[in-house]
Amino acid sequence: MAKLEHIERSEVLRYMGHQGEPEPELSALLDRCEEILLRDARPKYTFAVFDILRCEDGISLSGCRLELLGNDIKAHLEGCERAALICATLSSGADAAIRRAEVSDMALAFAMDAAASAAIEQFLVMADEEILSALPGYYGTWRFSPGYGDFPIEVQRDFVSALNAQKRIGLCVSESGILTPRKSVTAVMGLSREPLPKKRRGCAMCAMNRTCLYRKRGGHCGF
Amino acid sequence: MDFKTLLERKFVMLDGAMGTMLQASGLEAGGIPELLNLERPELIESIHKAYIDAGADIIYANTFGANRYKLSGCNKSVSEVIGAAVKIAKKAAGQRALTALDLGPIGQLLEPTGTLSFDEAYDIFREQIIAGAEADVIVFETMTDLLELKAAVLAAKENSEKPVLCTMTFEENMRTFTGCCVSSMALTLEGLGADAIGINCSLGPKQLEPVVKELCRWTRLPVIMKPNAGLPDPVTNKYDVTPEMFALEMAEVAKSGVKIFGGCCGTSPEYIKAVREILERTDIPHIEPLIPAAVCSPSKTVVIDQPRIIGERINPTGKKLFKEALRRNDMDYILNQALEQTKAGADILDVNVGLPEIDEKEMMLRTVKSLQGITDVPLQIDSTIPEVLEAALRVYSGKPIVNSVNGEEKSLETVLPLVKKYGACVVGLTLDGNGIPQKAEERFAIAERILNRALEYGIPKENVFIDCLTLTASAEQAAVMETLKGVKMVKERLGLKTVLGVSNISFGLPNRVLINQNFLAMALTNGLDLPIINPNVESMTGAVRAYRLLANIDKNSAEFIAAYNDAEPQKTAPKPEGDLSLAHAIENGLQGESAKATKALLESHEPMEIINDILIPALDKAGAAFEKGKIFLPQLILNAGAAQAAFGVIRERMIRSDKAPVSKGKIVLATVKGDIHDIGKNIVKVLLENYGYTVIDLGKDVPCEEVVKAALENKVKLVGLSALMTTTLKSMEETIRLLRESGADCKVVVGGAVLTQEYADSIGADYYAKDAKETVDAAKEVIG
Repeated sequence: MAKLEHIERSEVLRYMGHQGEPEPELSALLDRCEEILLRDARPKYTFAVFDILRCEDGISLSGCRLELLGNDIKAHLEGCERAALICATLSSGADAAIRRAEVSDMALAFAMDAAASAAIEQFLVMADEEILSALPGYYGTWRFSPGYGDFPIEVQRDFVSALNAQKRIGLCVSESGILTPRKSVTAVMGLSREPLPKKRRGCAMCAMNRTCLYRKRGGHCGF
Repeated sequence: MDFKTLLERKFVMLDGAMGTMLQASGLEAGGIPELLNLERPELIESIHKAYIDAGADIIYANTFGANRYKLSGCNKSVSEVIGAAVKIAKKAAGQRALTALDLGPIGQLLEPTGTLSFDEAYDIFREQIIAGAEADVIVFETMTDLLELKAAVLAAKENSEKPVLCTMTFEENMRTFTGCCVSSMALTLEGLGADAIGINCSLGPKQLEPVVKELCRWTRLPVIMKPNAGLPDPVTNKYDVTPEMFALEMAEVAKSGVKIFGGCCGTSPEYIKAVREILERTDIPHIEPLIPAAVCSPSKTVVIDQPRIIGERINPTGKKLFKEALRRNDMDYILNQALEQTKAGADILDVNVGLPEIDEKEMMLRTVKSLQGITDVPLQIDSTIPEVLEAALRVYSGKPIVNSVNGEEKSLETVLPLVKKYGACVVGLTLDGNGIPQKAEERFAIAERILNRALEYGIPKENVFIDCLTLTASAEQAAVMETLKGVKMVKERLGLKTVLGVSNISFGLPNRVLINQNFLAMALTNGLDLPIINPNVESMTGAVRAYRLLANIDKNSAEFIAAYNDAEPQKTAPKPEGDLSLAHAIENGLQGESAKATKALLESHEPMEIINDILIPALDKAGAAFEKGKIFLPQLILNAGAAQAAFGVIRERMIRSDKAPVSKGKIVLATVKGDIHDIGKNIVKVLLENYGYTVIDLGKDVPCEEVVKAALENKVKLVGLSALMTTTLKSMEETIRLLRESGADCKVVVGGAVLTQEYADSIGADYYAKDAKETVDAAKEVIG
């Protein structure tokens, strides 16, 4: 199972909205964050692979009740025969670490929150590789998550349940559809026997596209 | 046949997986398996029968996920689904096997990681337990959160008479997903009156062997082992341990003293048959371990096999700042007291929030819930009011200490039943209706009486701690040695652990620290196990560390050396003095410097002067630089943190000198119902406080009505609402609607990642703040 050994500093700074070299105080703060998170978080993921059946308003999967609705997920899975559903979490240990920081030191809490966001993404990149290595002969798309484009975020509960993710990695969904522990991700990776054209994710898919600081500055986050 | 009779056998056999069998019959991923009780009862019955034929003594009805949360949206009630399932199982079982009502986790995480409250969790389980009243035993399995399991066990115990079996799911690191460790599980569940406890799911028998071994060391209850058939292949979902291998591994595990066996994911009747056959031929030892005196939180067990420090600082007695924090409902202050003491070396924290003018029960509940969200140090619940004790005992996750009971019958008969019911430890004070006896022998007699009454209530001896009571040396000098004599007698003759509040000894004397330290050392030598002290006083914690070293407990002086070896002499780098230093500290985000500079300034300046002339200009400067893009959010927050430290010093000074704390006005802040992302709101809070506003922070996932209530009660001019998710924006809209309807005379400022000016306008907010700085601007405009 993939293991986090460090947290990419430049990514943490990006999540914090920081530009340029960090000042010594900020660097020291990020050192502390990394140490605490690597100690307290127990990242885990689980996945399952299904054959894709196309349907009118999205994608349905063979042997799975879950329907992936919307045009964007349909487009995302174009050319794919199968799909890997992935659930990952940094664990409740990460939440507790952030909570502790919030009580005593807001700057630390803010940095921890950003570091945890960077960590879960970094962990998923490692998971992607492991998943693909378990599926020899397949090429994978990038991960497409509920809430991107018109792929409804309301699918979280059924998504988590289809993967039995509470039992497998301790991932739940709150009454209002939020993944808990907080630093968690669900995503779909399309799988194809043929090499897939590289697509950039782009801002149109992003729920933040109207408020994003990077866009306001005229750039993008690299997403 | 009943469960008790079954236990007289050499071993008891449970069934194997239900889900695996259903998948083999074509159940799709994501379907609700419990609906098959109504749709295909004959399929469920045939699975039960196959397990009974394979040798199961107890079968689990198909009720694992049949709760109101998981069934919502499928038009079937909990009682319909569970009723049908138990009926099918009973029909299949006949006289051949017992039927278990099988309940898994609810599917939502409890507060504070999730939003489900303890009471809601209790109610969900209660509904299931009532629906499954026809079953012979109740099983809770695959649990990972000790508090959720506690809610379940209480619901079972309070709503039925059936035996309760509990199994939790552990990883290879010997912890559950939520960090619960084996010893804490055992101590807590045995205390709550479970009838058998154990392990299920996650891994195969071999990988779980260390976990089950550890469990057998920590419990006198029958131990259950219901592992998976190894690990599944992620792509094919096939498990890697065959029935034969599984049986061999289970026979090995049995030697640790396991009593009840079964299979979880990946197992089938073949596995159960193979295990049954091999166990018939295996010697299974009956192990009755000696359980040490210990308390725990889910992730930390503190064994009282050496002096352990109970931190006394969470207590308003004689503390102006603490009292003020209670009146202001300032939970962060209390939580910081916990973090500070833990860092200093406290092993257990005493929690007392009694103040005549506040609702102690409500405050105790909030405090215990908040504390267990941020610290893993076990708690000692300290109150004179039984209702307060019970409220805290209910929601405490783990095995706490109750402080206290005394030798008076009235106290014994109200407190001890609570201690028994919730499986706590208890501090017995050696006093009664006649007060505190002079002589050690008389105090010993009361200790003995308390112990005997505790035993009568079924409280194990190791859960009773005795406090021989420290009297003030200046007033009752002769009593000091009597107290110590009492400690020694209780320790040696009753074999109980002893507690003493230490600091009281020096009341009214000069150089209290010296007296306290010496008395502590004397008491430890006489057998004191649990000194209640201020761990932040280095000489006190140091005395305990030194004792552990000298008494040959701290082997090779390892802990002592770790505590002191890297203590460097304080660096004294020259820093600019006074206001220059404060502005500098804020600009550079230096919290310690900022507090120090403020203290220095307070010698010669009025608090308001410091706020208006130094703090706010420094913050404005940072805010302007942020707006211009010269600094970024991290620096802004670092600056705010430093300013917050300065404010802390000023507030402390004002409370100590009985002046009303400075405030420009009150603002209510909340993260709306359904949303749990509160970091943005918390950043806003710090900034607003820095500008001199009093923030009433309602927290996250706040019901709309609660915001309205707080706004009206406090007559605030401004309410700030935060939401991060598109799905929770509707709660924001609803909160604003209710605020308007209530006639509250306030403006509303909203913020959060997915909000826009247009959306804010459309839901009737007065201000949209794109960042924390803009919220301050709104506050300035509304309040001034």
